Amino acid sequence: MNEVAEAGIPRSSRALWQSIKDFVAARTISTTGIILFLLLATFLLWPLIAVLIKSIAGSEGFTLQHYQNFLTKPYYYQSLINTLILGVLTTSVCIGVGFIISYITIRGPRFLRKPLKMLALLPLIAPPYIFALSLIILLGRNGIITKALNLNLSIYGFSGCVIAQTLAFLPLAYLMIENSLSTLNPNLEDSAANLGASQGKILRSIIIPLVTPGILKAALIVFVMAISEFGNVAILCGRTPFLAPDIYTIVTGIEMDFSMGSVLSMFLILPCAVIFVIQNYLIKGKGYTTILGKPVAAEPRRINPAILIPFLLVSIFAGGLVLLTFGIVGMGTLTNIVGVDNTFTLNHLLDWRSNMAMMNSLRISLLSGFFGAIIGVLLAYVIVRGNFRGRTALEGIAIAGFTLPGTVLGIGYIFAFNKPPLLLTGTMMILVINCAFRFLAVGMEAGINKLHQLSIEVEEASLNLGASAATTFRRIVLPIVFPAFMYGFMYVFMTSMVSLSAVIFLVSPGQNLASVFIFQWANYGYIGLASATTYKLIAIVGASLAIIQALSRWTGLRPTAGGGGA
Amino acid sequence: MNEESRPMLVLREIYKTFGSVKALKGVSSEVGKGELVTFLGPSGCGKTTLLRCIGGLAKPDAGDVILDGEIINDLPPDKRGTQMCFQNYALFPHMTVAENIGYGPQVHKWKKKRIRERVEELLHLVLLEGMGDRPIDKLSGGQQQRVALARALALEPKILLLDEPLSNLDANLRVLMRASLREIQKRVNITTIFVTHDQFEAMSISDRLVVMHDGIVEQIGTPGEIYEKPSSEFVASFIGYVNILNGVVRNLGSETEPAVISTELGDLQVLRSEDDIEVNQRVFLIIRPETIQVRPYGEATGINEFKSTVITSMYGGSTIKYTVDIQGKNIVIDQFDPSNVGIFGIGEKVTVGIPQNVHILKK
Repeated sequence: MNEVAEAGIPRSSRALWQSIKDFVAARTISTTGIILFLLLATFLLWPLIAVLIKSIAGSEGFTLQHYQNFLTKPYYYQSLINTLILGVLTTSVCIGVGFIISYITIRGPRFLRKPLKMLALLPLIAPPYIFALSLIILLGRNGIITKALNLNLSIYGFSGCVIAQTLAFLPLAYLMIENSLSTLNPNLEDSAANLGASQGKILRSIIIPLVTPGILKAALIVFVMAISEFGNVAILCGRTPFLAPDIYTIVTGIEMDFSMGSVLSMFLILPCAVIFVIQNYLIKGKGYTTILGKPVAAEPRRINPAILIPFLLVSIFAGGLVLLTFGIVGMGTLTNIVGVDNTFTLNHLLDWRSNMAMMNSLRISLLSGFFGAIIGVLLAYVIVRGNFRGRTALEGIAIAGFTLPGTVLGIGYIFAFNKPPLLLTGTMMILVINCAFRFLAVGMEAGINKLHQLSIEVEEASLNLGASAATTFRRIVLPIVFPAFMYGFMYVFMTSMVSLSAVIFLVSPGQNLASVFIFQWANYGYIGLASATTYKLIAIVGASLAIIQALSRWTGLRPTAGGGGA
Repeated sequence: MNEESRPMLVLREIYKTFGSVKALKGVSSEVGKGELVTFLGPSGCGKTTLLRCIGGLAKPDAGDVILDGEIINDLPPDKRGTQMCFQNYALFPHMTVAENIGYGPQVHKWKKKRIRERVEELLHLVLLEGMGDRPIDKLSGGQQQRVALARALALEPKILLLDEPLSNLDANLRVLMRASLREIQKRVNITTIFVTHDQFEAMSISDRLVVMHDGIVEQIGTPGEIYEKPSSEFVASFIGYVNILNGVVRNLGSETEPAVISTELGDLQVLRSEDDIEVNQRVFLIIRPETIQVRPYGEATGINEFKSTVITSMYGGSTIKYTVDIQGKNIVIDQFDPSNVGIFGIGEKVTVGIPQNVHILKK
């Protein structure tokens, strides 16, 4: 081989040629890196900085006046306190119920495992605010249950928000806990049982300590989602103050108080930032590997009724609520005014405003999927293959953008891109860019994952066999990262379709989006239109998820938990 | 039957089916007190399933598991007096060595002091003294193996069940751990069942072997019995015989005269042991590689001598392994100490002598 390759070309000129190629290759990667950094800085960092500046800028330069206002007016700090309580309550219930359902779907009666798992994951295909809709239909002022029982209660307020957020993020909690519970070696429980431990003792001394790292991770993510997700809370909060909807009201309502909106945003970011730090520096990599050899599937043990029965009741109750929600919103879709005039109609489904909004959403989501996936995969390549400083910063910015509450990035975009040279407000581009940059971290992580499987030697082997850098990229690298591209595309597309909290600040009258319409109609009481549009979103997201599943089976990538449509 | 001579474990006609797969098709066996018996067989032969049936992790469809005179079929794992050690050790990763070993006693509400003493005693037994406070993931594979053993012994079970306990260790450590396992087993005098697919491991560690194949017991015997008199072609090939000839008995011979059996190589003179064979019976002849002679090419005048050609020659330090071709049949030869005949290269012509005392197996 060597003799053949070296026959024609003198060694020195070959080496020179190689070093030129290396030089160009190295520069290509770092140039791309710089461009990507500028893009991330512009579309993720700058809006964030713009919010920060707005919160400390007064008419005569720097001021802490706005923060002082926040701390002295009970309405505002109450909003922070409410938000934190909402987060803690939602997280506790989600984790508890998520663990119980995980236990049943992994160790419970075999015939129940699959259906219960499907039911627990079903809400993932729906926009989270579907639960606000069903609560209004059932327990709103004209709700079916409210009227049937002649109740004098209001779902608008704290309890409604907690119920809706809990149901909305239960699937996420379940998914993550199930993930950690399912990797638990059943032989550990066999050993403990063999040594005489009861099932309660096994739960307490073996299972719970071992899934605690997984539970902690799930808790942090659910907490962030619960405080930053906008839809349910905005629809159901009534007069109770919460940060996310308050930002929206203050910025877009009659007050138009951008400074206070920014201050509220900073307080919304704060807990998320704390959690981001905990997540990445304190519990990253913690956890136990319990499967060393090949795990032997245990024959299902009979679970002690004292554990099984309450666990089953909780699981069935939660599953029942999910089914009820889907059913009732389905009814809302197909009746004139559900609960009031239950005559069958297709009017809501055929409504032209709904369809126009769907078309807009599709257009924007497809574009953001495409751009988000390309940038994500390029980022992955630059991060894995480049050797310049700041690669980890690139990854960090992308992930921070993903973790950041959408509401904050929404008002950030208003502040950041409202004057030349970056005048984007009111255009369709601003929606596309916002969605693409917020969610590109998923494609990036998938790409990094894939590229780590491809050792650099494989590329070197290709170069060594005489292929040019371009050919190598096309023939070797692209086929490897293509699945990651597809995966990133589907993810960005899907989340953009249902996403509400950022785009609601950025839509302009000519080009409304489906998610924004659902929110507005739900607020105005047009439940039929809101339900029908929600079901259309479910259909599209459901189909996309099916594609993602097929992709992940094909590529071996696991869906990244922690997405959602905040 | 008195206490002493009663076997610790009796398996009576055990059947077990998974879906359409018949994992165990009527397995019977006995294990004596303090004995180490190995279930040996290829993967899928049912050995692990049988072990799990004994330990209560699987329930036999039919048959009885009798431990110390008591039928334990329907007892849960912790009420049987059996203790299982898993292939992957199944140590509790969030506990220390001492907490792992003390888990059983703690569950049984022993007094703190008694637990501590028992743990110390076991750490001493498995040569891990002073390592009680170590976390599990700071131990080597061999140490983890011994912690698993100590944990299983903590409650003094009647029988210890080991499922391929050495298979996660690398080759050198396996040999060391094998010896140490056997020593601990003898010291505690605990009845033990050892499951493995490694015939060398099985031979070197066991009092007796139960060779299994396809859900049935092929042969039960001491390592010597199994090695010298495999009862079937499967057992012979599984425990490592490579030279198996097909033959037909031509002449029975007598006490002093060898029998004559015609094979692929030609007629062979074979000394009969107690094998009751008849003329024209079809048999297998099993020839151990180390008993075959090889010498420089010359007239094949001796008994059972054949001219042949070396096909492969592998130098392995203390032995040289040859494959030679005799009449189109490949024969494997292990030659120790080649100093007086020299080393033969590939393609070289040699003369090969088959011994007269080979094992005859009826078809």
